[in-house]
Amino acid sequence: MPASLELLRSIELFSTFTQEELEKIAPLVNPMKVMEGEILAGRGYRARTFFIVIKGNFMLSFENGKAITLHNKGDIMGWSTLVAPFQYRGTVIALTKGEVLTLPGQEFYLLLQSESVLSSKIMDEINSIIASRTPYHEA
Amino acid sequence: MYGLENISAHNGWAISLVGITIVFTGLTLLSLTIAQLHKILDLWENKDKYINNRNHKTLTSTPADVAPQPGMPAENLEDIHQYKLIVDRLEQPFSLPKLLDIAVKIGLERPHSTINKLLVKKIIVSDGKGYFIWKLQF
Repeated sequence: MPASLELLRSIELFSTFTQEELEKIAPLVNPMKVMEGEILAGRGYRARTFFIVIKGNFMLSFENGKAITLHNKGDIMGWSTLVAPFQYRGTVIALTKGEVLTLPGQEFYLLLQSESVLSSKIMDEINSIIASRTPYHEA
Repeated sequence: MYGLENISAHNGWAISLVGITIVFTGLTLLSLTIAQLHKILDLWENKDKYINNRNHKTLTSTPADVAPQPGMPAENLEDIHQYKLIVDRLEQPFSLPKLLDIAVKIGLERPHSTINKLLVKKIIVSDGKGYFIWKLQF
């Protein structure tokens, strides 16, 4: 069942979206329960799903042994679904049980390709996340 | 007499009820026994560990070199001790995925959740560069 507009509006990534924009993206967003120890994304695998944290604690680890922990509502995992070569740069493991919103990568990408305003809003946020995480996955 | 009358005349209903009760009670006891079997097997396989733990607890209630944290439940002290031993063998600052990997490999109980507790309690803290530091002083 797709996530409610109310829930989407409470996520920082979508906070500047208009009602119309939220309605466009809502059908793609599905809540998913996560179990403790569950691997959501594997480094090097094709990035198929974009995740947004709703609750729970997650560890994002990189090949060089570095890691960051994500525990805030609205934290994003799997931005590689929107950026070539569409492979996860890190591995995401749930440290606790929790809940995430999932967006199918390809459909999300196609939506952003067809909606320039939406794309601009999302990519501004994604770019700031990429910039903040780049030091971690570089050697 | 035939059929139901015959059953009634010879206490057939009561006998059936007793039979059903016996069978269902037996099945319930059997299923409960099977459901708990893993605990008995675990106890049998790790009897040395249980005996040692029991002896250890009678000597001291907490690991000797672990200082209790305010608000930290006593049962977590054993976890802290085990993870501290692993961290001591890693380069400092240490890699959190590596700690998790070792904890999983050596079979510590619920390693993800335990590491999360250590992070929440700020016993393990990020160095801001992707590695982590053990903050609790002994």
